[in-house]
Amino acid sequence: MPEQTHWLGAFLAHLSPRVQEKLLSLGETFHYSEGQTIFHEGDPSLYLYIVKSGQVAIDVHVPSKGRRSIMTAGPGDLFSWSALVEPRIETASARAVEETEALGIKGGALMDLCREDPGLGFEVYHELAEVISARLIATRLQLLDVLS
Amino acid sequence: MPPNPPRVSASIALPKPALQQVFDNLRAAGFSLVGPTVRDRTIVLDEIACLDDLPVGWIDEQAPGRYRLKKTREPQYFAYNVGPHSWKQFLHPASLRLFSAEKSNGGWVFRPPEEPQPRYAFVGVRACDIAAIAIQDRVLLGGEFRDPHYARRRENVFVLAVNCARVNPTCFCASMKTGPRATAGFDLALTELPEVFVMEVGSDAGSEALRDTPWEAATAFDRGRADRAMRDVERQFERQLKTDDLPKLIYDNLEHPRWDEVATRCLSCANCTLACPTCFCTTVVDTSDLRRTKGERIRLADSCFNRDFSHVFGGNIRPSIRSRYRQWLSHKLASWIDQFGTSGCVGCGRCITWCPVGIEITEEVNALRAKAAK
Amino acid sequence: MLPRPAVIQAIRPEAAGIATYTLAFVDPADRDAYHFLPGQFNMLYLPGVGEVAISLSSDPGEPRVLGHTVRYAGDVTRAISRLKVGDVLGVRGPYGSHWPLEEAAGKNLIIVAGGIGLPPLRPVILSILSQRDAFGRVLLLYGARTPADLLYTREFGRWREAGIEVNVSVDTADENWRGKVAVVPQLFYFVRMEHKNTLVLTCGPEIMMRFVIYEALARRIPKNAIYISMERNMKCAVGFCGHCQYGPNFICKQGPVFNFAAIEPFFGKEDF
Repeated sequence: MPEQTHWLGAFLAHLSPRVQEKLLSLGETFHYSEGQTIFHEGDPSLYLYIVKSGQVAIDVHVPSKGRRSIMTAGPGDLFSWSALVEPRIETASARAVEETEALGIKGGALMDLCREDPGLGFEVYHELAEVISARLIATRLQLLDVLS
Repeated sequence: MPPNPPRVSASIALPKPALQQVFDNLRAAGFSLVGPTVRDRTIVLDEIACLDDLPVGWIDEQAPGRYRLKKTREPQYFAYNVGPHSWKQFLHPASLRLFSAEKSNGGWVFRPPEEPQPRYAFVGVRACDIAAIAIQDRVLLGGEFRDPHYARRRENVFVLAVNCARVNPTCFCASMKTGPRATAGFDLALTELPEVFVMEVGSDAGSEALRDTPWEAATAFDRGRADRAMRDVERQFERQLKTDDLPKLIYDNLEHPRWDEVATRCLSCANCTLACPTCFCTTVVDTSDLRRTKGERIRLADSCFNRDFSHVFGGNIRPSIRSRYRQWLSHKLASWIDQFGTSGCVGCGRCITWCPVGIEITEEVNALRAKAAK
Repeated sequence: MLPRPAVIQAIRPEAAGIATYTLAFVDPADRDAYHFLPGQFNMLYLPGVGEVAISLSSDPGEPRVLGHTVRYAGDVTRAISRLKVGDVLGVRGPYGSHWPLEEAAGKNLIIVAGGIGLPPLRPVILSILSQRDAFGRVLLLYGARTPADLLYTREFGRWREAGIEVNVSVDTADENWRGKVAVVPQLFYFVRMEHKNTLVLTCGPEIMMRFVIYEALARRIPKNAIYISMERNMKCAVGFCGHCQYGPNFICKQGPVFNFAAIEPFFGKEDF
């Protein structure tokens, strides 16, 4: 594993060097100021994001309760996996809690790459499954409201 | 008749009517006699004074979920086994005031109860029940903390043991190695023969109780008859419990389908825990007067079959009958061994007789073996 | 055992429905004689109402005043919520097993708490503060339901200054919260730690502890290096009433703190 900055985190770090390079080459870095909305729930999901620095809150708007954060993503964490899952629409909103830099990988381009390169496709979707699985388990605990 | 009482560990023969004198000696020595007597067509344990209070001529017919008394023509005093009562009702009473509290000078003063100290003479204790008392001694006196209420009642208890003359189909003391013969833990132990009691003197107190009674050294003939009677009894056991694979058998089968099956029958009525001579669980209730200046703490018998037994904030740890039955059986035959060094079961069979649906603890354990979970 | 009278010296609200009661025995002889170890609990008694088991949450090095963080949940705790400074209640204890501070000497510690699981661990943190050099890295992973439910937040600064890495999350929050939103077991993903020479001490709802254990085991921490605090119905606290049994263990005697390897066969068994 090549020495990289720690923001590679769980998702990128588990990919083979070849696939990592391909993904990074597809990526562009976005800057967000504190409080800036990254995307709204319902927006077309164009990018898969990996936080490089800062912190991103994933919010859901609940009528009469307002915006509730259900998750935060820190350096290395992935958010907006909807970019790789049809119908590619954001299922929640994302907001920079503080000044944040994130790597955005175009979802459409990555999906095309996955189709052309099945080996890469397998790796990407395999790691994605792991991320979503961990999220699901965490969400179950939230749902059970065990700390109430 | 020798004027002196017999020495300890002597084997004597006592004409049966002279047992009354033993009773009188015990009462004169300050003991409250409690023993078996017939009430409501059941042999219960209660205060007794004279031989006629005993269930003379009665035998019991026990089966899963069944208890009947039958009168026979033979005037045997002790021809039955055990009834629904056990000696824990005297040593570990079902209701007990622990202390009272009174408001004083802005604070509270706590006071232990002043109670007269009863000195019990237990008449007619079976070997299984001697073992049960010893088990409760270990639980309540043998650990890091001592139960002072049990200790107070337990010291100076006089045990007049009786070796069972017959066996009910519900009995399995032989499997649990607690009977049918009383070998220790008694002041006097008797085997009933047609005209005499062959008695073993177990202690000085037992010896004293025989003072001035028409006892004689037991002849070889008497001792032979008593031994033969006991060997006959030992052959009568129908029910067995294999114990050499406990506790592991139960720990390894906590998810066995048998628990689901027994849960369809068990009513969670708690009868088994009430009748069981070793079950010791209790709860406490706090009461106060209306002005909250005086309070009392009362200890009550409880059962792991009661739903609230395992209540914690947010719910109940054992909400299902399945989980509660499993708790009872796994405690009695498995975790008890880890906690106290012996099984919690003495093989008296009460839980089998007094279960309204006739669940048999021996059958449940065997079922765990028969098709052991993969 | 009879309860001994103790006076409420202070009441500090911590969160909605939770407050810390600082008690001192009325009799100076009781004050002098009382000592406790982190993880142990007292039985607090209100005559006429009943008793409740509450973990000690104060510094074991200062046993003359005893802190108890109480969540108002049942009859007894609700009656306690109506008491004022200067009122007297009954205290008996301490009971139960304790967190393994002796075994932790020289090692790294990961302290993982959820909600009302932090108070029984606070005495560990305070003990560490008074002898920080005796331990390696010390991490606190702590979460509550919402930011308003976080306990002892005033102290986090002091703990951080003393070299304890404090990581906090909430299950859910509004936009005013600038910290992490995550469930407690997820906090393992935010820190890096050595698995060798590391103990995990955790307290919280059983299901939370289950997932904490998964995360610890996934990071190669040995089973016998994980300690948990179990809760069951507590009535007598001295192993007689039978209510707190957990397999062969009495929570009031062999627990509430258990080495995970010791209770692994029973842990997580449904309705056990």
